[in-house]
Amino acid sequence: MAAVELQGIFKRYGTTPVVKGLSLSIASGELVALLGPSGCGKTTTLRMIAGLERPDAGRLSIDGEAVDGPGLHVPPERRGLSMVFQSYAVFPHRSVFDNVAYPLELQRVPAPERKARVLEALAWVRLGGLEGRMPQALSGGQLQRVAIARALVARPKVLLLDEPLSNLDARLREELRGELAALRARLKTTMIFVTHDQAEALALADRVAVMNGGVVEQLDTPQALYQRPATPFVASFVGGATVLSGVAKDGHFHVAGVALLLPSTLAAEGEGTLVLRPEDVRVFQGGAPLPLSARLFVGSAAEYRFALGETVLRALGPPDAKGLPGDAVPVSLERALFFPSKLV
Amino acid sequence: MRLPVGTASLVALLLLFALAPLAVLLGRAFTGHQALAAVASADALLALRGTVATSLGAALWAFSLGVPLSLLVTRTDLAFAPAVRALCTLPSAIPPFIWAMGWIALANPKAGLLNLWWGPGTVDVYGALGIAFVLGTAGLPLVFLPTAAALSRIDSSLEEAARMLGAGPARALLTITLPLALPAALSGTALVFLFSASAFGVPYLLGVTATPPTPTLTTRIFGEVLMGAGGLERAAGLSLLLLALAIAVLLLSRWLSRAGRVRLSSGKGLALRPLPLGRARWPLSALALALVVALVLLPLFAVFLTSVEPVWGQLEGLTFAHWSHVLSSPRTLDAACRSLVLATAAGGLVAFLGLTIALTRRRWLETLADAPYAVPGTVLALGLLVAFSRDLRLVVADRFALVLALGNTLWMLLVAYVVKHLAFGVRNASDGLAQLDPSLEEAARVLGATRGRALYDAVLPQLKAPLTTAFILAFLASMTELTLSVLLVPTGRDVLGTLIFELQSYADPNSAAVVACAFVAVVLAVLGASSALGPKEAR
Repeated sequence: MAAVELQGIFKRYGTTPVVKGLSLSIASGELVALLGPSGCGKTTTLRMIAGLERPDAGRLSIDGEAVDGPGLHVPPERRGLSMVFQSYAVFPHRSVFDNVAYPLELQRVPAPERKARVLEALAWVRLGGLEGRMPQALSGGQLQRVAIARALVARPKVLLLDEPLSNLDARLREELRGELAALRARLKTTMIFVTHDQAEALALADRVAVMNGGVVEQLDTPQALYQRPATPFVASFVGGATVLSGVAKDGHFHVAGVALLLPSTLAAEGEGTLVLRPEDVRVFQGGAPLPLSARLFVGSAAEYRFALGETVLRALGPPDAKGLPGDAVPVSLERALFFPSKLV
Repeated sequence: MRLPVGTASLVALLLLFALAPLAVLLGRAFTGHQALAAVASADALLALRGTVATSLGAALWAFSLGVPLSLLVTRTDLAFAPAVRALCTLPSAIPPFIWAMGWIALANPKAGLLNLWWGPGTVDVYGALGIAFVLGTAGLPLVFLPTAAALSRIDSSLEEAARMLGAGPARALLTITLPLALPAALSGTALVFLFSASAFGVPYLLGVTATPPTPTLTTRIFGEVLMGAGGLERAAGLSLLLLALAIAVLLLSRWLSRAGRVRLSSGKGLALRPLPLGRARWPLSALALALVVALVLLPLFAVFLTSVEPVWGQLEGLTFAHWSHVLSSPRTLDAACRSLVLATAAGGLVAFLGLTIALTRRRWLETLADAPYAVPGTVLALGLLVAFSRDLRLVVADRFALVLALGNTLWMLLVAYVVKHLAFGVRNASDGLAQLDPSLEEAARVLGATRGRALYDAVLPQLKAPLTTAFILAFLASMTELTLSVLLVPTGRDVLGTLIFELQSYADPNSAAVVACAFVAVVLAVLGASSALGPKEAR
C-alpha cells in the first residue's frame, strides 16, 4: 500500500499556479527526494502533504486514508506525520529535552516512558548528555539534530524534511547525510525530503521525483534518472548535461552552423533536442574541430567549454592536454540522447 | 577624559536642568526633618498603598485586556481587526485625564450617563477601582503594541512545527506562540504600572473627592506643595518613595524585555496563516469590537456630550453655548496661545538637542538624556521647583553675574517640557543615525565637504523623518501636559492642561469638556496629518 499518494493536485497562490496537476505515489518505507529548481513547487508539495497548505484540487491520501479531497482537509496534527523544517523550528523557550518531549506530552505519554523515549531519540542523533541545554546554546548542526529527534520520537508514519541540510556547512552536511541514512535504515520510516541539490538527492534517495514548473517530470531511481532521463530538463538538471536544439540529418546534428557526428547507435532524425553529458563528449579524439572558449582545471580532469550559439557545450577531457582559448579542438560524441520535437 | 566643547556644554546643560534638580530634591528629602517624618507617617503609607493598589490594578487590567486583544488581532481571522487595532492604539495619543473626564461623565454615581440609563448608583468610577480601570484602559497600548509586535515577529515555522508534532491550532498558539510573546507583554505591563504610578490627573479627579478618598503619592505631593515651605519638604520626602518605586519597576521591565529578546528568532519563511476562529468568529469579533468601542469611543463621546449639555448632567436642550463661550473667552485663548508657543518651542528644542546628543555618539550621554522620561513627572517638577525657586547667581570674576531667574516663569515650564521629553528626540535621532549608512557622510567628506557641510548635506536630509517624529511627539505631549504644568505654572498664567484641570475639578465641567474636545481634535488632526505625510517622507 502506498504510504503517500497524490492524485491530480493543483495549488495556486493568488493567481499564480504553483502546482499543476501533480500525481505521485510513494511506497511505505521508501525514501523519496523532491528535487527541482527554486519555484518548481517542491516545498509547496511537501507542505500540502503535511497539511500546512490545502490543495485547490486533487486528492491526497496517507496510508490509504484520504486526507485531502473535495470537502475534506485533515489538519496537520491529525495526519500522524512529522516534519523537519529548514529553519529547524526548535522552540526557543524549551530545553532540548522539553523540545523532544513535546509530541509525547501531546499524546499524554506517562512521564517515565516519556523520559526513556526522549533519551533514546536523543541517542539516535548523538545528542546524549545535552538534554538540559537551551537552544540558544546549541550550534546549527545540533539544532538540526534536535529537530530530527523531535520529529522521530513519536514514530510518525512519514517523516517530511524541508531542505534539511541546506543551512549547514559542507562538512556537517556530509556528516548529517550519513546519519540520516543510518537512522532511516534503523527506523524504516518513510521519508520525503525536498532539496535543490542533485548530489544530495542522488546520494540519499531510493527514488527521486524531479519537479519543474509545478509537475513531476520523472520519478525514478537515481541510476535510471541519470542513465535514462525522460526529458531534456531532467537530463540537464540531474546530469549537468548540455542541451542543444537543432536538426538531426544523415547521422549528423546541425546546430549553430556546426555539424556534430552522432554516435552510430543513436537513431535520430529531424528537429529535436540533443542531450550531451560532459563525460560523453570526447576531445582530441577525432571529430569536428570547434573553437575552444575556455578550459577549467578541476583536479582529476579538465572541463572544456565550447560556444555553440547561445549554448555552452561542456566536455570532460584529460587534465594535462593542451589547448588555449581560441584553438580549434576536435570534438566527438561517445554517447548522446535525442528527444525529437513533438510532431504537429 | 577630554570632551569637545560642544559635548561638554551639552553635559553641562543636562547636569544643570535634569540631574541637579533631582539631586537637590534628594538632598532636601534626606536632610529635612519634616521630609523624613513625612516618609514614615501614616499618611505616606496610605498614599503609597493607594499608588501601589491602583497601579497594580491598572497593570492587571491592561494585561488581561491587551494580551487577548493582540492575539485576536494579529493571529486570528478576526473581523474588523484593523479597527480594533486602531482603537487599541488610540488611548496613548490622548492625555489620561481626558479619559477620566469621559468616565466621570459616564459613571458619576449621581449624574453619569450610564447611571441615568441604568438607575442612579449602578456604577461608580470614583475610588481605587475606578482609577485602576481608567489608567489601565489609558495604558492599554503599552501592552497591546509590544505584544502584537512580538507575536508578528515569531518565526512561523515554530507554530507549524507544533502542528506537525500533533498540537491543535489552539494548543500550538497557547504552548508555543504565547509563551514566546509573554516577555514583551510582561515588560509592557510593568510600564503600565510605572505610567499609573506617575499619573496625577486621573487619581486627582477620581481619588481626592471619592468617599472615602483614595490618596496616591502624586496627589499627596501636590497637596503638600500647596501648603508652602514645610509642605515642600514633606513633598520631597514623599517623592523619594515614588522615585524608588519607579526605579524598581523600570529595572523589572528592562529585565523582562531583555529576557524576551533572546527568544525571538527572526521571522522567515511564509507568513503565518491566521488561525480560523470558525463558529466563534462572529461572536468574538463583535465582542472585541464592542469592548474597544465601549472603552475608547464611548468616553470620548461622553466628553463631547458633556460639552453640549446646558448644565452638567442634563441632557435636555443640548446647546453649543459652552463652545462659543469657551472658544471666545480671553482666558482660553491666552492659555491656548501659551501652550502653542511652549509646545512648539519644546518640540523644536527636543528635536535639536536630541540630534546634537545623538551626533556625539556617546552612549552614556544618550542614557543621561533619556533618563528623565522615566522619572515620574511629579518628582521631576518638584525637583525643578526646589532647585530653581530662588534665583541662581553665577558670579564671574566679582564683576559679572549671570542670573538664572526661572522661578514662577513660563521658562520653567519650557525647561520641564524639554527635559521630560528629550527622550523622544534622542531615541528618534539615534535610531535614525543607526540606520544611516556611515559611508554617506564619508563620501561627502572625501568629495571635499567639511565636517559641518557633510553633516548638513549628507546626514540631515536623511534624518528629516525621525526628527519630525520627535518634534510631533514632544509637541503633542507638551501641548496636553498636566502633571508638570500643575506644579510649575506661574500664578495666573494658565496653559491648556492646567485650565482644563481647573475647570473640571472646581468650576465648570462643561467648559472643561469643550477644551478636552478641542484637545482630542488637535491630537487626531496632527496624527492624521503626520501619518498622511509619513509615506511620502519614506519615498
